[in-house]
Amino acid sequence: MRNKSVIEEAVDIQRAVELVSLGARMQMLEAETRLSRERLLKIYKEVRGMSPPKGMLPFSTDWFMAWQPNVHASLFMAFHSHFRGRDCLSALDAIVKAYHLYLDHIEAERMEPVLSITRAWTLVRFYDADLLQSASCTSCGGHFVAHAYDPTRDYVCGLCNMPSRAGKGKKRRVSARSTRFARMI
Amino acid sequence: MKRRDFQAEIKELNLAFLMLAQQMLRDDRETAMFRLGIGDEVADLIEGLSSTRLVRMATGQMLLPGFRFDDAMLAGLLAGEGRDPASSSLHAAIVAATKTSREMT
Repeated sequence: MRNKSVIEEAVDIQRAVELVSLGARMQMLEAETRLSRERLLKIYKEVRGMSPPKGMLPFSTDWFMAWQPNVHASLFMAFHSHFRGRDCLSALDAIVKAYHLYLDHIEAERMEPVLSITRAWTLVRFYDADLLQSASCTSCGGHFVAHAYDPTRDYVCGLCNMPSRAGKGKKRRVSARSTRFARMI
Repeated sequence: MKRRDFQAEIKELNLAFLMLAQQMLRDDRETAMFRLGIGDEVADLIEGLSSTRLVRMATGQMLLPGFRFDDAMLAGLLAGEGRDPASSSLHAAIVAATKTSREMT
């Protein structure tokens, strides 16, 4: 599918640049823009200064169930549910805006982002495909990511009922490269 | 006995708050509505305020930015109560965002 309009192409390029600087993988770029693969590769290399990682995207919903990913994914989905309800936003804009809010929180707390934009995008697709759902914690009332069709009646979240070793895993250094190059340009 | 009325402080805070809210709304309306916890009607109103009306709105004995949630558990989490401050902040953000979405729909 080639772009017919130059203006539409310009919009797509701008979008691709923002997505790449947020850390999006090629699969997400190909799905969300109408640019050719060659063009996307060029944009990727120009923005990141290296070739995109090869290989398939992670496709298991189980990743979102481990303690730390679950907390981060739930935070993202809490933001996303606000934007999804707004009719004036496209599905992609809702994801990008929610992801910016997620990064704002991570930055303010000097934590390391656990959820990449591609994971966040996959997460929303899992919701759309009814593979995941939000469960309401009976103790704090927050909404948390859970497998679809799991019983949620007596659900207690991983933060109200923290496993003893939660959050004490290996601490990695915060990578120096800014995830939000997009803000500077 | 001398009674402090806090009028000047309230007006200053109200003004700063309204100006920030207006800037946030003009920059990215959807994100600002979420952060401020306001719906479309109030967002339209604040976005369109002239400076005269903005100053008028800031004047008065009422503090415009109120406490966001009357919820002791949430307030405690925000203040870092819990096993470690980082997970408390995440917990607070999730609970707060859930509440905001619920109030706005």
